[in-house]
Amino acid sequence: MNDTPLTTATEESAADDSASFRRLHPLNIILKSVAAIGQNLIAMGVLYFSVFDQNIIYAGLAALALLAFIIGINALIWSRFTYHVGPKEIRIKSGLLSRNNRSIPFDRIQDVSLEQKLVSRILGLATVKLETGAGGSEDGKLDALALADAEALRDTVRDYKSGVAKNAAEQTEADIPETAERAPIFAMGNRRIFIAGLFNFSFVLLAILAAIAQNLDFLLPDEFFNPRYWLEQLSEQDVVNGLSFSAQVAGAIGALVSLIAIGSGSGVIRTFIREYGFRLDRADRGQPGFRRRRGLFTLTDMVMPIHRVQAAILKTGPIRQRFGWYHLKFQSLASDGSGESDHSAAPCAQMDEVDPILAETKISNVSPDLIFQRVDPALWWRDAVILTVILAVVSFGLGVTIHSGFYALILLTLPIIAVMFLNWRHHQYTLTPTQLFVRAGWWRRKLTIVPVRKIQTIDISQSPLDHPLDLASITVGIAGGSPIAPLRINAIPIPSATALRAKLV
Amino acid sequence: MTEAVTSPDPLAEMEQDKARAYNQGLTPLHPPQKSLIRLNIVILAAILIVAAIVVEFAIRNELPGIGGMIIGPVTAIMLFLIILLPGRIYRRWGYNMGDEQLRVLRGFMWRTDTIVPFNRIQHIDVAQGPFQRAFGLSTLIVHTAGTHNSIVTLPGLSTPDAEVMRDTIKGHIRQDMI
Repeated sequence: MNDTPLTTATEESAADDSASFRRLHPLNIILKSVAAIGQNLIAMGVLYFSVFDQNIIYAGLAALALLAFIIGINALIWSRFTYHVGPKEIRIKSGLLSRNNRSIPFDRIQDVSLEQKLVSRILGLATVKLETGAGGSEDGKLDALALADAEALRDTVRDYKSGVAKNAAEQTEADIPETAERAPIFAMGNRRIFIAGLFNFSFVLLAILAAIAQNLDFLLPDEFFNPRYWLEQLSEQDVVNGLSFSAQVAGAIGALVSLIAIGSGSGVIRTFIREYGFRLDRADRGQPGFRRRRGLFTLTDMVMPIHRVQAAILKTGPIRQRFGWYHLKFQSLASDGSGESDHSAAPCAQMDEVDPILAETKISNVSPDLIFQRVDPALWWRDAVILTVILAVVSFGLGVTIHSGFYALILLTLPIIAVMFLNWRHHQYTLTPTQLFVRAGWWRRKLTIVPVRKIQTIDISQSPLDHPLDLASITVGIAGGSPIAPLRINAIPIPSATALRAKLV
Repeated sequence: MTEAVTSPDPLAEMEQDKARAYNQGLTPLHPPQKSLIRLNIVILAAILIVAAIVVEFAIRNELPGIGGMIIGPVTAIMLFLIILLPGRIYRRWGYNMGDEQLRVLRGFMWRTDTIVPFNRIQHIDVAQGPFQRAFGLSTLIVHTAGTHNSIVTLPGLSTPDAEVMRDTIKGHIRQDMI
């Protein structure tokens, strides 16, 4: 098991248990060095042309020295990074000059994920990430182990139950049924991922195209970004004037359609890269949990115990809901990679597919006879009044002083107030004996289902605008989720707020 | 609370109204807390008055007719705040140690009423600053696992009270809730 080289083992003699500490896979030295060399390539190029005056020998020597330095440093870092998997905890020693000795009890680990980037997949390596929910980013990162070692570590953590640490013999025995897998709870085929992508509209691709156009503009004619150039071209050919009105409209629609096509196209590509081969299984050993695998280039394999789930979130949109598609997420203390605050459990699913997943967590979905309560209409009209006053003042001021066209700014109130009204209509809540349901948002519809026993704190708060109307907001503190946008029920009368709170805690 | 009865302003009247009453019959903070709030305001006022004096002396040469035009109002406002504000802030705090939960009420314009069930509390601090020590006060800070409002602070408790509360809550802390 222990592949520690003899030369470095003597250095570690200070700690008597150092023999049980293991290193990461040696290939890391090469991987990290290659990445570092890539970063320093430009610097070498600059040096070649400036300091070394294009002298190939000196430049070559310098490059060799740099290469040796990078590899040496990375080897040193690698040799000083050791980890030890104990019966109850994992310990990680790291650091070149200032040593850090970290211990993560298995009890506190929220989820374990294995990540394989494209290069790691080719080399058979995997990065293990352990999250405890402290501070946000992953608390233990082993970058990288051989895939088999990583899986063994993952299984050790998964199978651990406080008080019952399994012995090694039992573990190897239990590894056998891994090959005969059961049917997944939820999986997405390519067609489903395509549908998910269509709703995952984004302009990232457009931004990338613009960036490429900017960087490659030496390929374009000099006057490409000069509007006059185009106007001249057009007037020479007299295209627009010659066209009928309907053709102009068709051109505008065409531009809009192509914009939407680019948006959906980039959404589809992004979704494919992230969700390819999406598969959610029930982890059938150790603690009951979910195992999720996905990814086209970077493969991730995450295991999350079910008792860590704090709340279920169902997201949809006006168009998506018409077709019955929902995005199911689970909120827990740990965050999903790639900046998502919740764990995505089913990115694009019909309700009859969502229900079995929810059943695993003992959270029940909205039953048809459940009646939701609306919040006070002041939620929209109060903001509408404030907005109208502000916009009236601004448009009047600008209209008088600068240009009478600014009077039209007041028209902006109409669409904004319409959205406020729709948002109010979609802000609803209800309470069953065990669960709190909160709906919010018209365009980004979000239904949060919180089991009452997972509620940590309850705030009833009133802003100065709430006092005259005797309204209040309830903020529900749950572990995990976004600290900026917590679960909140806005604008409900104070008596119902206190009554609701009395039922919640 | 006696101040509220004697002063004839509408806000105090509003507080007599049960439905709107601030500190809705909850335990008030330890009375020296009022003095501590006053001390904090005095310090802030002193800084602002010194700043006002500096500004006035700095622009005295350019604007000779200014004599006291800055110092006067600033001092008046500060005196007003020192006299009025501490009682008002103090009155709007309240807490209640239930059998199962801690309730903390605070604020007037932005008013918040927080409930923390004891068994959701992860750990507790009893903190004391230098001024607080002089007045025999302590702050009770409870931490929950929640992401929003994970730290609930209750200042202005007498130190023995805070320690008793801490020990009561300590008995309710459970293993691994999350």
